[in-house]
Amino acid sequence: MTSDPSQIPSSDAPLISRRTVLTGMLGTVAVSVIGLPSMARVNEQGQVGRAASPVPGIANQRIDGLAKVTGQKVYARDFHARDMEGWPDQQWHGLYLRALTTQQAFMGLDLSSLPDAAQPRRVILGDQLSEGLRAPRLRFNRDLAIDLELAERDRAQRTGPTFDRPDAVVFDLIVQPGNAPNFLGQAVALLVFDNTASFRAALRAMQFQDDKFQRYAPLDRSDPAPEPGQAFFPETTYVKFEDEFNYAFADPDTYLERVPEYRAKIAAFLSEHPEFHRRSFTSQMQAMDPMFMEPETGLVWQDTATGTMNLVLGTQSPDHDIDNILSMYDTPDAPFPLSGINLTSCYPGGGFGGRDSSPFSLMLALAGAFSEGNPIRLAYDRFEQFRVGLKRHAADLSGEVVVAPDMAIQLIQMDLTFDGGGRKNLSPYVASLAALCAGGSYTVPFADIHSEAIHTENISGGSQRGFGGPQAFFAIETALDEIALEQEWDPFELRRKNLLTPGDATVVGGPVAQELRLAEMLDIAEAHPAWADRDQIKADYARRGLTYGTGMAMSLQAYGTSGDGMVAAILIEPDGFLTVQSAAVDMGNGSATTLGVVIGDILGANATQVDMGGYTLWGQTGLTNDDPEGVRWDNPDWTAKSVGSSSACLTGLHQVHTVQQTAHGLMAGAILPAARQIWGLGSLASSEVQWLNSLLVYRPGGKPPLSWPQIAAFVHDNGLPRGALGHAYFQDTWSEADFPTGSGTIRLQLDGLSLYQGEAETPVRIIRQNTIGPDAESKRFARYVWAPCVNVVGVTVDQTTGRVQTETVLSVLNAGRVHVPQLVSGQSQGGVAMAISYTLLEDMPPGLAGPADGRWNLNRYHVARAGDVPLGTRFDIANRSQELIVLPESPGDGRAGRGIAEAVMCSVPPAISNALRDAIGVRYNDLPITPAAILKGLSQ
Amino acid sequence: MTISFTVNGIPQEVDDSRAEDRLIDYLHDDLNLTGTKFCCGIGVCRACTVTVSKPPNPVPSPVISCSTVLATIDGSAVSTIESVAQDGMLDPVQQAFLGHFAFQCGYCTPGFVMAARLFLDQLAVNPVPADQLEDAIHDAIGAHICRCTGYVRYYQALRPLAEAVLARGEVVE
Repeated sequence: MTSDPSQIPSSDAPLISRRTVLTGMLGTVAVSVIGLPSMARVNEQGQVGRAASPVPGIANQRIDGLAKVTGQKVYARDFHARDMEGWPDQQWHGLYLRALTTQQAFMGLDLSSLPDAAQPRRVILGDQLSEGLRAPRLRFNRDLAIDLELAERDRAQRTGPTFDRPDAVVFDLIVQPGNAPNFLGQAVALLVFDNTASFRAALRAMQFQDDKFQRYAPLDRSDPAPEPGQAFFPETTYVKFEDEFNYAFADPDTYLERVPEYRAKIAAFLSEHPEFHRRSFTSQMQAMDPMFMEPETGLVWQDTATGTMNLVLGTQSPDHDIDNILSMYDTPDAPFPLSGINLTSCYPGGGFGGRDSSPFSLMLALAGAFSEGNPIRLAYDRFEQFRVGLKRHAADLSGEVVVAPDMAIQLIQMDLTFDGGGRKNLSPYVASLAALCAGGSYTVPFADIHSEAIHTENISGGSQRGFGGPQAFFAIETALDEIALEQEWDPFELRRKNLLTPGDATVVGGPVAQELRLAEMLDIAEAHPAWADRDQIKADYARRGLTYGTGMAMSLQAYGTSGDGMVAAILIEPDGFLTVQSAAVDMGNGSATTLGVVIGDILGANATQVDMGGYTLWGQTGLTNDDPEGVRWDNPDWTAKSVGSSSACLTGLHQVHTVQQTAHGLMAGAILPAARQIWGLGSLASSEVQWLNSLLVYRPGGKPPLSWPQIAAFVHDNGLPRGALGHAYFQDTWSEADFPTGSGTIRLQLDGLSLYQGEAETPVRIIRQNTIGPDAESKRFARYVWAPCVNVVGVTVDQTTGRVQTETVLSVLNAGRVHVPQLVSGQSQGGVAMAISYTLLEDMPPGLAGPADGRWNLNRYHVARAGDVPLGTRFDIANRSQELIVLPESPGDGRAGRGIAEAVMCSVPPAISNALRDAIGVRYNDLPITPAAILKGLSQ
Repeated sequence: MTISFTVNGIPQEVDDSRAEDRLIDYLHDDLNLTGTKFCCGIGVCRACTVTVSKPPNPVPSPVISCSTVLATIDGSAVSTIESVAQDGMLDPVQQAFLGHFAFQCGYCTPGFVMAARLFLDQLAVNPVPADQLEDAIHDAIGAHICRCTGYVRYYQALRPLAEAVLARGEVVE
């Protein structure tokens, strides 16, 4: 099972196809997820994800690394119709034209000035679309507590303003002539080209001069569209009054009605304490582009002969994308009856949330309806990606922190307004998590936090790395720093006085059950020379004529949502290799690599292949989310949530747990029964075997060790279970149950376990018993698990140019169990770079002053390069460095990792602002802190 | 009239009506060599880096294929990421990037590989003093954009290779 890592393997890997059936209004639709096309058609290099690390439990390289470092086809951008098995070779191209204003009515196109060679084959306007295609009813499910509110609202049929369509806040995918666009960048037309030459000619002819081809007229709006400024439903309000009142435990039906009463009580309490220090703050952040390297690209071929839609996509959210595409075509007026969807799920060339429920998949599916049965490619260039791609929200935050003379924080009050832009997307969910993050890492008796995402004409915001955390932590951590300065308190001491510890409650009111170790982290950071020697360092820089400052900040980024479902399969291949399949997507964060090695200790070998994006696995579990009788876990078919979108932060705990528990299920349900038969034993318990050098050894002795090829051959030859499929659910605690298997009953922290038998594609479910699962109430806690980080940052400031250089970053991180150290530090290093970039470089104004004008690219939007980040990894006074200190694993971690993909990034921006305050005495409350902002601050 | 050049040693001839076509499009569309990545399209990010040598100068140089039209490479030899691994064996640069977990999403990686390979080759011919090596590495790959890794591991991977070149005074093979 070992391999020479420098040797490129030959490829004979089969395509992976997994199927499930979804039921729509008009019937059933078969959905398949297919592995990347065989390389045989395009070149002779190896297959993605076939590179096992030889030592069980240890990753010696990324499992997808070989393919990526040799330039193989792994991204959606790499594929054309000719690469796809069974597709017609003729490939068409789609090009959307984008709205230039929201203040006038779009009247149509005038392409007469376009050269003949650049003329499209077809022009599609909004009024040519069926209702289902033009404004499909979309679902953006992300958070059980919020989803519950949405469902209740639906049931109550409180329609409200037309804008507030709870689960389908969508504007027309293509603006209808006569209507004003709802936001900048909304599509106004689809141009369809039947050959590459005309497509490229049109791109050249039309770039940067959209106004030549679009016609607008003064607006006469008889059916008023939603006006900018309205909040997307739902908003989030967390008012906490000691133990008496909070969101988590209040009666959901009366909670909001009672909020004013408790706000008044908070005000009354504060008025009784004039000795309290009250610090108000405001903070504004511009939007940020995720700037993943691969612009969004996809292929679609609607095979009308079979009613099948074939898609090639690199997405973080295959579940959402498929569901929403189905809703487009599951209508009586659909252009053709859809009976199946085949999704080729590619590795995304970066994601950072920007490919999570991105509208791109809808626009691709829409284009497929107009290519006359031919494959069609939609490939944004960077200008278009900047123009329409999902952004980290611009945000306005304001509020007040109230602190007693003994440093105890009494109140955090904050209003957070996120610029959701044109489409609702996941904006209310982002705003909601930001409301939780507003409480920082602290226990506070009183809180009054309101967060909303509003509709504007700007580019849509969505899921982005940190999911509201970067904005909220910046506001609270800079405010605390200012309080410390004003009161002449030590900033570490101020924070240490107020730390959340297990048993405390968050601002939501939910208890913190997980070990956090915040005080330990503060101690480490405080004693580190980056902080302890800061005065000396500052003096050293001053002697060299440089202005230096040090700042610190901490964050407590939650990972997961208020309830997460995960699914994974492990298959024993006939040759003895193991394949892991997961519904998660690897955006580059290393999920595939991690999931491939975390089974090593359990199964004696790492996975040789890891297939990600297995959207259809859920359909094979046989479980349901329907609970008409309200019996929840007593129904052995039920679970609280199927699967969700992929977030990098879900790997360390959630996905790893699911794969490992499934591995235990495979051991009990397949491997032990096979070994028992091979060894001719009457019974065989897991305690009687162990893995040694990838051989299964019978502890009592007298039996020959079994290799994986031997086990696999026996399993396949005798029709024994050849794989396991597990589903897990986490909401404060894991669901767990007993599962009868061929080697006895095993208790797993899973709510679904199935075994693949013989050649059957669909596994056989083991009916669970004695199930225990999270109760319904705890989902109102919002989050349950945390990835804390303390950052100390040192910067120099050129007071002539305003340029800030990050000299030192110290990150102290609680990552729990570290599965792959290189991936953890890599996530940290990437997070540091992105945070520096967000704080100091990425300057994106709203409206047509920003990328909505279609003229923005990397020559105007600057992201961090190597020279902008410290590259040393050990603190060194003489050289720039970023040092990561990961807490050693503790028994409290329970051998579980934490989702750390966002953790390090969240407290770097406030630490930079705090360092600037130390360096030049100016408080920078807004982001980005550009050289112009530095100079302006200095001048004041 | 035609434009003649080679890609990974294979001769190419295209009609000069395509003189303004971008090299990256030719690689993708005509040759189905998609290892060279399109990102910004304006020559800033360097994800699309290939190497080109053009007589009479035999020394290859890094070229931004998204901003290079075919007319300018007449008579040139173009090398892409697909040519780096030889006979089924990875180049030491590729092996180092793999071993150091230097990349994450990997979309920028072919550009880094091409620039790093060229840098090492040229370093062998024109070595720099050891105390200038870091600057030389930065000159070679410092302008490349990577959004995932924070660059640290690319530098960690390349530095020992460069030091080995200086130590041996020969090209790393």
